[in-house]
Amino acid sequence: MVAKRKKKYASGEGAHFMTRKAALKKLQLSLNDFRRLCILKGIYPREPRNRKRAQKGQAGIKTLYHVKDIQFLMHEPIIWRLRDYKIFNKKVGRARAVKDFESLKKYLNNHPTLKLDHIVKERYPTFLDALRDLDDCLTLCFLFSTFPSIAHVPRDQSALCRRLTIEFLHAVIEAKALRKVFVSIKGYYYQAEIKGETITWIVPHHFSFEPQSRAEVDFKLMSTFVEFYTVMLGFINFRLYHSLNLFYPPKFSVVSQNDDEKSIVDEEVFVSERVAALNFPVSKTSSGEEEEEVEIDTFSTEDTPEKIEEAKIEAEKIKNLKGLFKGLKFFINREVPREPLVFIIRCFGGEVSWDKLLFVGASFDENDESVTHQIADRPSMDKQFISRYYIQPQWVFDSVNARQLLPVNKYFMGEVLPPHLSPFIDKSRDQQYIPPEEKALYDPEALEELHKKQETDDESEEEEQEDEKLEAEDSEKVDEDEEDTEDEEEEEEGESTKKKKLKVTPGEVYKEVPWEKSKQERQEYKLREKLVKNKHRKLYKSMMAGRQQRAKEIWLLRKKRRLHEEKQKEERKKKKKVEKQTT
Amino acid sequence: MAKPVMKKKKRVSKKSKLSWRKHVNINDVEEFLEDQRLEERLGPPLETLTDDQLFKVDVEPSKQTVSSKERKRKRFLEPPRCFAVLQPHTKVPDPIRKRNRVRTKEERKNDLIKKKEAENRAKGIWKHRELQAIRDQKVNEERKQNDPKRGEFVQNIWDADDQLTENNGWFSKNTVKHNLAGTGKIRKTVKDLKKIKSSVLPTIEMPHPGMSYNPSYDDHQDLLKTVAEKEMKIIKEEEHLNRVTRDMFSKVTAKKRDSMWLQEMSQGLQSASTNDNDNESDSEYKALNPPTKNKKKTLQQRRKQQEQMQLELLKRAAKLSKKKISDIHQLKTLNKQIDKTESKAKILRERRLKNLLLKKKEPKRLSAIKFEETELDFNMGPDITGNLRSLKKEGNLLTERFKSLQKRNVIEPSVRRRRKKSKVKVYTKPGHKEDWITTVAR
Repeated sequence: MVAKRKKKYASGEGAHFMTRKAALKKLQLSLNDFRRLCILKGIYPREPRNRKRAQKGQAGIKTLYHVKDIQFLMHEPIIWRLRDYKIFNKKVGRARAVKDFESLKKYLNNHPTLKLDHIVKERYPTFLDALRDLDDCLTLCFLFSTFPSIAHVPRDQSALCRRLTIEFLHAVIEAKALRKVFVSIKGYYYQAEIKGETITWIVPHHFSFEPQSRAEVDFKLMSTFVEFYTVMLGFINFRLYHSLNLFYPPKFSVVSQNDDEKSIVDEEVFVSERVAALNFPVSKTSSGEEEEEVEIDTFSTEDTPEKIEEAKIEAEKIKNLKGLFKGLKFFINREVPREPLVFIIRCFGGEVSWDKLLFVGASFDENDESVTHQIADRPSMDKQFISRYYIQPQWVFDSVNARQLLPVNKYFMGEVLPPHLSPFIDKSRDQQYIPPEEKALYDPEALEELHKKQETDDESEEEEQEDEKLEAEDSEKVDEDEEDTEDEEEEEEGESTKKKKLKVTPGEVYKEVPWEKSKQERQEYKLREKLVKNKHRKLYKSMMAGRQQRAKEIWLLRKKRRLHEEKQKEERKKKKKVEKQTT
Repeated sequence: MAKPVMKKKKRVSKKSKLSWRKHVNINDVEEFLEDQRLEERLGPPLETLTDDQLFKVDVEPSKQTVSSKERKRKRFLEPPRCFAVLQPHTKVPDPIRKRNRVRTKEERKNDLIKKKEAENRAKGIWKHRELQAIRDQKVNEERKQNDPKRGEFVQNIWDADDQLTENNGWFSKNTVKHNLAGTGKIRKTVKDLKKIKSSVLPTIEMPHPGMSYNPSYDDHQDLLKTVAEKEMKIIKEEEHLNRVTRDMFSKVTAKKRDSMWLQEMSQGLQSASTNDNDNESDSEYKALNPPTKNKKKTLQQRRKQQEQMQLELLKRAAKLSKKKISDIHQLKTLNKQIDKTESKAKILRERRLKNLLLKKKEPKRLSAIKFEETELDFNMGPDITGNLRSLKKEGNLLTERFKSLQKRNVIEPSVRRRRKKSKVKVYTKPGHKEDWITTVAR
């Protein structure tokens, strides 16, 4: 007997992959059901190492799945529910066609429902796993919460998304978990820290809904994602509320119960209610303190003391950030988008209100004397109070990102705002060029410097203008003055250096050459460099070269900036000159 | 000339139905019958009726206006309008006097049984089937209440006690298996899905600082630069494609093209003039391949060939041995060569590794359609107003999310398929054709 001939693709890569069509056949599902199942279970198509073998010699590029993945799907009880759906649809279709309304009603009342709890548990075995994957979930839910009812999206989905997102925002407010905000042209980027996990999400700008062409995005597919994410977000909310000692589900007095009707009647009313809900604290289950602030251990086995110190400073900063707006009262003008501002201010302990007559949920009046800040986005106002600052909304965002209350003077109503910088850039990039405005954001000293510089710039400009005025009268005198000031400065510098010398000389025991130390250090450094293993030498060299190159780039950019500023200054001067001449 | 005079036939054949219809006048009979039928339908003619039958003395006072509520109530008491169809619409009596009707189940029941059942029900004795129905209803209602409702979250699915069985480092597998043997809890082995991340890319890409609604000058310029670079790349590619395809061909007029085509197509055909020449020269048959000749080598030739071959082999062996000796002296260069190839291989290996890392960041090829990245969102300089009120929104978040899912290999890139509308051939069924008048009933 000859051994049985081995068939092609019975082992190896050919046996590990399955085309989508084969998977459909194996699972006995329609394509739509299969896609839905894959999304719910988190099974993704794969790319094989050798496509020809994986496709069993078939030409073209096909969507392939792992055989193991499909076997895993086969055990899913939800498949039966999907089949139930199929049968249900057939029955309903038939009843409707023959106008058998009695059975139609019976079927519709008994429709099958998908239960996704176990899938959430399965995909995210622990709460932290779920938090880790929250970015996508939140962004999609926030996006769908802005949608009206559209084809291919279940009718109640956007309402559910609205409810869950509001609940989540409340949890963030209560936990004071927000860390960073960024207003981009796309939407608001928020970053929060929950249980040590960094969560980022995008909330679209609140403008009217823009219709989408179906050719670009598959709505059905996205709505399936949202279907899973709503369940996931619901359970996360439940857990978050319980860990924060809050009642779940929270009840908002301003929000009417059936918000479906409201949203149909008037979108504006709905939005204002949603914002109003954010302005009231949710009820707590117990008055006891929440989780105590975690103290950082002083004894750490791995970290160096510097790192521990750094972590301590960071913790202190975050503690400060949590109570950033504590004791401040904000009044929001009607032209300012309220939802992001209310959320942010409430997150950091501030109090907010708005015009009582325009929207529901206002907690205090505009005439309240205790209001410290009024947020306005218009060039000027007729009636102004002396007791409060009139600022532009960007002050709130920038203060949060800077983790301290920034000086208000640059954000006054009608001022040209400083640029709104992204907080998502790695702050430890010492080898990159950082524009002075951004440096000022993270370093108060640099900010003062910048202010001074600008003031001096302005002053010097003014001086120059005055000079020009005086020029006709007597130019020599002014020149002398300038020289004098310069001389004085030089003298001062000279004195300071002299003093230092005097201080050193009396206790001179041995003569220390000032450059000797640095020279020795350099030599030592070179020796250490030689000790680098042969294995790592090349890496080291390339590292150093890279460092040098980056330093050069920084230098170049700084130079460019300097030149640019000088040029601008000159232009300004010229402009003023021209204006003066015309007048 | 005798003029043909049409005579009226005295007798006509009444053999067929057709001829009967043609020649017999039955109008009076038909009219009479028609009258009778009408009378049956509508009642006797008015002339025959007496005054009492025709008129009625109005004794009741004219009704006052009824409220809409009362009217509604009254209408509710009337038989529903849908039953009007069941009423006879003629006065023609039913030809079958005693029409049979299937009595209902209730009507068919014996009076004694009816009485007994009523007694039982009063006593509270129910039939088994009825009891079953009640029980079923209860079960159904309970099930419906327990059915998961959308948007209702009442439990913590990450319960603490569940951790006892799964993913607990303290118990060995066997311990759990042993202790949970009787509990009915099956230890499910679930693939660690979280370990298989479809992509190394982050879920939400951090925005470029130039995308701020009020960006700093440098950041905005940087963003514009990247956008412009991308665009330039696309333009360059397009230009290249045009150069390589469209611009490679010279343009000709339609007339010239036709003539060229004719020329090209008539290539290889024998023209009339050459044909004549061939005919003149060719007189006898000539095969294209001449027949082979079986020419044998002589013995001497064979021997010489053999000798040459031997000599050649010897020469080759001598050369090889000589090379071996010389190679010993060339060891250094050989070593160098080996080093060179090795270093080359190393460089290649490194490069491959680097490429692999780079490739990880690119979307995988998951379907026949290639992934296309969306363009970066940016505001042009004049669009930036610097305040939140007059901000110009850019980009679509839904599209961005969709593309991000594709980029992270979660879903395969696809295009919307348009279902082809099948061509429907329209025709009328033979039975519905209009020509039945001419064919069937003449």
